[in-house]
Amino acid sequence: MKTDSSALLRLLQLVSPALPIGAYHFSQGLEYAVESRLVHDEATAADWIGGLAAHSIATLDLSILLRMHAAWNNNEVDEARRWSQRLIASRETAELRAEDRHLGCALARVLSDLGIAVADGWRVNEDSSYAAMFGLAASHWHISVDDAATGYAWTWCENQVLAAIKLVPLGQRAGQRLLDALIPEIPRLVSIAAQIEDADIGISTPMQGILSARHETQYSRLFRS
Amino acid sequence: MNAAVRDDQLISAATQGWQAELDLSFTASADRTVLAQRRHFGPLRVQRPFYPDGPVCNVYIVHPPGGIVGGDRLDLDFNAGPGAHALLTTPAAGKFYRSAADEARQKVEINLTQATLEWLPQETIYYPGARVRQSTVVRLDAKSRFIGWDIGSYGLMTRGECFDTGYVHQGFELWLGEKPLLLDRLHLAGEGRIFDALWGLSGHCVLGTLLAYPAKPADIDAARAALESRSDVTLGISLVDGVLVARLLARHADAATQAFAELWRVLRPRLMQREAVSPRIWAT
Repeated sequence: MKTDSSALLRLLQLVSPALPIGAYHFSQGLEYAVESRLVHDEATAADWIGGLAAHSIATLDLSILLRMHAAWNNNEVDEARRWSQRLIASRETAELRAEDRHLGCALARVLSDLGIAVADGWRVNEDSSYAAMFGLAASHWHISVDDAATGYAWTWCENQVLAAIKLVPLGQRAGQRLLDALIPEIPRLVSIAAQIEDADIGISTPMQGILSARHETQYSRLFRS
Repeated sequence: MNAAVRDDQLISAATQGWQAELDLSFTASADRTVLAQRRHFGPLRVQRPFYPDGPVCNVYIVHPPGGIVGGDRLDLDFNAGPGAHALLTTPAAGKFYRSAADEARQKVEINLTQATLEWLPQETIYYPGARVRQSTVVRLDAKSRFIGWDIGSYGLMTRGECFDTGYVHQGFELWLGEKPLLLDRLHLAGEGRIFDALWGLSGHCVLGTLLAYPAKPADIDAARAALESRSDVTLGISLVDGVLVARLLARHADAATQAFAELWRVLRPRLMQREAVSPRIWAT
């Protein structure tokens, strides 16, 4: 489905770093991966981010985002809530769970301020997840489901690359090379998400969970996850 | 068919597969928890309950064939009612053998109503080429308590055989009524990169997950302190909505089992107000 320009512009608004939700505070375990030297250069950063994209973002976030987008299109609020609960319950550490709730509530406040009334009840809500509100916005602004998932994957990749630039650290040009390698993967992530069965939705990146848990007690840190 | 014959044989896809079910219900009597109901079908057994541990009903779950092949299906149901406290373990490691085509399935369902249950099975060994779908689903209420673990050993490291074909799809879920507290679903494909990749098992062949409920921040601190000095496991412990989640990677199943047993010894008195007495079968 071709996205008309108003839907495209809304998608750009939704994935912009200017969106006031504070996504740049979170590294999702990358900070401890660098602390422990598991990620220490451009190649290991590429492997880490690419691995999480394929085995966590595609198989959990995007697959649930697609389902929530459909639920919002059909005004099935309870269905969207159930999927959001499942998404949050799949976050296995305190920081990953707090991050998703924080982003979900923050995005709900933005959407609510922009007049999307359905978002009101999600401003302070433990069932709020980033993907739930992202799906709501996409549905409201007539962004197609594929474009919504593509945008979600893009903004996640960009945020991880920015975190890697700061943490590893890497130069800005290395950051662009990382994105250059991730971009051709994104359509594949979206198609993995579209094919996955309900019973197979989940994360297969155990090291991320372990490092995210260890990040909670890291002595000196820049990021909240 | 005995265990020796089945051991490490390539079982043909034509194998019919064994269905086995075990259904146990525990209830509190005046002075101890009793196994009030047991029903089994096929080669799954429970030994006579014993009481090394005050009123806690201890049982060993036995699977006489000793291993599971493609096409087999095991269903285990454990139920416990108000005031009951049961500890369940296994006398030997579980084994899933290689399969040419058919999937082997194991499902453990645990339902707790104001009850306490510990599910502490020995590790599961997945032979290279096994095709497995297994899950443990715990449903409880706010007055129930649970500690359980799942330790998977992928491949036969003593023989230098990695888990390089086949797959294991494994789930571990904890539900409070209709609400999911923790959903863990991993897909470990032998042909993918998950066993070697730094985001996956990073070269380890043992992955363990322990869940404990209900836990408080002080329990996490105690658990972390107890395992801080262990260098033979890579471990993370966190607290999510009252669930303690411990995840570990190791090179040997023994290291994983020892680390989780140590964690259990710290958590049991804190969550269940009872000193931990290790089941004697673990020592054999």
